[in-house]
Amino acid sequence: MCERDDEMIERVAGELRRPVRLDPAFDALVMARVRAEGRGPRAERPRGQSRGAAAWRWLIRPRTVRVSPLAGLAVAAGLAAVMVIGRREPAGSPTAANGVGQFASAAPDARGRTVAPRPSTLDPRPAAPVQFVLVAPGAREVSLVGDFNDWDVAATRLRPASAGGMWTIEVPLAPGRHRYAFVVDGTRWLADPAAPRAVDDDFGTPSSVVTIAERGA
Amino acid sequence: MPGLPDVELPDAELVRRVLAGNVDAYATLVARYRDRYARYAVHMLGSREDAEEALQDAFVRAYRALARCDDPERFGAWLFRILVNRCRTAGARRTRRWRTVVEDEGALLEAAVPAAAERAGWREEIDLALGRLDADQREAFLLKHVEELSYEEMSGITGAGVSALKMRVKRACDRLRALLQEAERV
Repeated sequence: MCERDDEMIERVAGELRRPVRLDPAFDALVMARVRAEGRGPRAERPRGQSRGAAAWRWLIRPRTVRVSPLAGLAVAAGLAAVMVIGRREPAGSPTAANGVGQFASAAPDARGRTVAPRPSTLDPRPAAPVQFVLVAPGAREVSLVGDFNDWDVAATRLRPASAGGMWTIEVPLAPGRHRYAFVVDGTRWLADPAAPRAVDDDFGTPSSVVTIAERGA
Repeated sequence: MPGLPDVELPDAELVRRVLAGNVDAYATLVARYRDRYARYAVHMLGSREDAEEALQDAFVRAYRALARCDDPERFGAWLFRILVNRCRTAGARRTRRWRTVVEDEGALLEAAVPAAAERAGWREEIDLALGRLDADQREAFLLKHVEELSYEEMSGITGAGVSALKMRVKRACDRLRALLQEAERV
């Protein structure tokens, strides 16, 4: 282990324990933000009672419910109607096999985990499957990051497609302009050599652009 | 506690006053903890601007959630946990910037050789080495050796197990030692 008598580590720690200087206006800035909250701290629960505990107490608290026979029959009929309707597949349902299902391309990645790009449940536009390919001989793992997965390196892993160092993944993307990049071995960020480079990268890292057209456009 | 100036009041009393509607009492808590915690944020994020932003966020979030501070006497420890989380979030946003630097590490080292003698010195070497640690190792090192917390306290703050934290600290120390010895040879 890292012993306290390690002279170099102790010198490092001593140096880092020195105070740092903040902006002289720091307190004023914090208090301005605090006052901008507009009201006092939220005291919605008694102290010592967490949100989960409050919910649990609400759930287990016994209640007396009075139901007339007529109301009981009406509720039963309603439940039966919901069950019947729920079993029928509506015509033109978005789950019908049209080849562009939002999770159509989900598949296990190189580490055996399932790649599950986020479904755009609030976006009525159908996602289009887009295949990403990178040739990276010698890479141990390759990830796809972009604005569609919050640039999360762990979200979308490419699969090795051949012994020649080709890595690939298919991801459903909603119509529009998406920025993305590859991450090789968790550290090297690469723009796609086969795609246009993004010119407005917020972070100064290489990234590329893919534009997905509206279907039928 | 009538008669005592705000700066001498314990945390629990200040928290009670803030919850009762005295917003100014919160300024005393800000002044009490800002310097101590700024040090951690600056070292964790490697940038004073990012650290000030994370620290501001931590104070504001703590204010919003003050009613949920179960132990107001330990407001400082509760605030620190919020700050550690803010630094993790800020660090994750910055990861890409740091990793781009790593990509060009060879070129940077080569370019730096002629100017090595002019480097600001030991402190700059420490900052560079610290910035090259993995975030979880840097976090563990700072909590253990700079903030001087026990492993149990670290576990409460980070959510990681004691043995995992010991391993992170050990690896951080090994890496720092190697990087700084290498820098001394240049």
